Amino acid sequence: MKTAVVLITAIVAQAFGDVCLTKGMKAISSLETSAGGFSESLSQVSHIAMQTMQSPMVWVGTLLLIVFFVLYSAALSWADLSFVLPATAFGYVLNVAAGHYFLGELVSNRRWGGAVIITLGVLFVSRSGQRTGETPPGELHAPGVLE
Amino acid sequence: MITAVLIALVVLGGSAGDVFITKGMKQLGEVSTLNAGRLLAIFGRAITNRYFLIGVLFMAVSYFSFLGALRLADLSLVLPATSISFVITTIGARLFLNETISPMRWAGILLVGIGVALISIPSQP
Repeated sequence: MKTAVVLITAIVAQAFGDVCLTKGMKAISSLETSAGGFSESLSQVSHIAMQTMQSPMVWVGTLLLIVFFVLYSAALSWADLSFVLPATAFGYVLNVAAGHYFLGELVSNRRWGGAVIITLGVLFVSRSGQRTGETPPGELHAPGVLE
Repeated sequence: MITAVLIALVVLGGSAGDVFITKGMKQLGEVSTLNAGRLLAIFGRAITNRYFLIGVLFMAVSYFSFLGALRLADLSLVLPATSISFVITTIGARLFLNETISPMRWAGILLVGIGVALISIPSQP
């Protein structure tokens, strides 16, 4: 139960953090993708860094991603890495949905398909127990996150 | 070639980072309090834990390799390629954290990796 609450909060914070970051960064002048010289790209990067620091959306997004990382680390203090990592991949599914509903992104069938496969994978992982490594006695195979 | 090395650094750095951070957090012990003062104390111990810090350092290596890889190759190549890290991290968790990966968990992890790869290939315009 604790794992479920912590990981779901972490995943939601990450999804909204990514949305905020995307909204913030899209408002900033677009990054040139052509490969320029080193000093040219350096000045470009510093210019973008300045603009980024002044975007409230970027700050909110960063804060939410810090919340994610703190909760993720906390979960790792008691649950398996091989459980927590794939479980948090459910965030990709939320990202696709959030991109669709909040950012108006067009989501292809392939990406929806990927979201379904991830959901299936997370269900499998959540049924495999959350702690196997360095297990205190009597606590083998605690209930999974989505059970 | 440099792109391949950078992608390898993204994956291995991220996996090593996750393994070290887990090792550090397991060393701290289970976080099971909502008391603000105690949480702050745990936070303080985490950011001074050697394993945790090494983990964060590997994460940074992974992140900057990712930025570097993006300068040389398209996101459409780099992002799906890094979805292999679900498998690499799991192998790391098994070898270095003594986690038992049941067939059920392996199946789930493989599905997650495939799904992430599918999601991260950008749609053709």
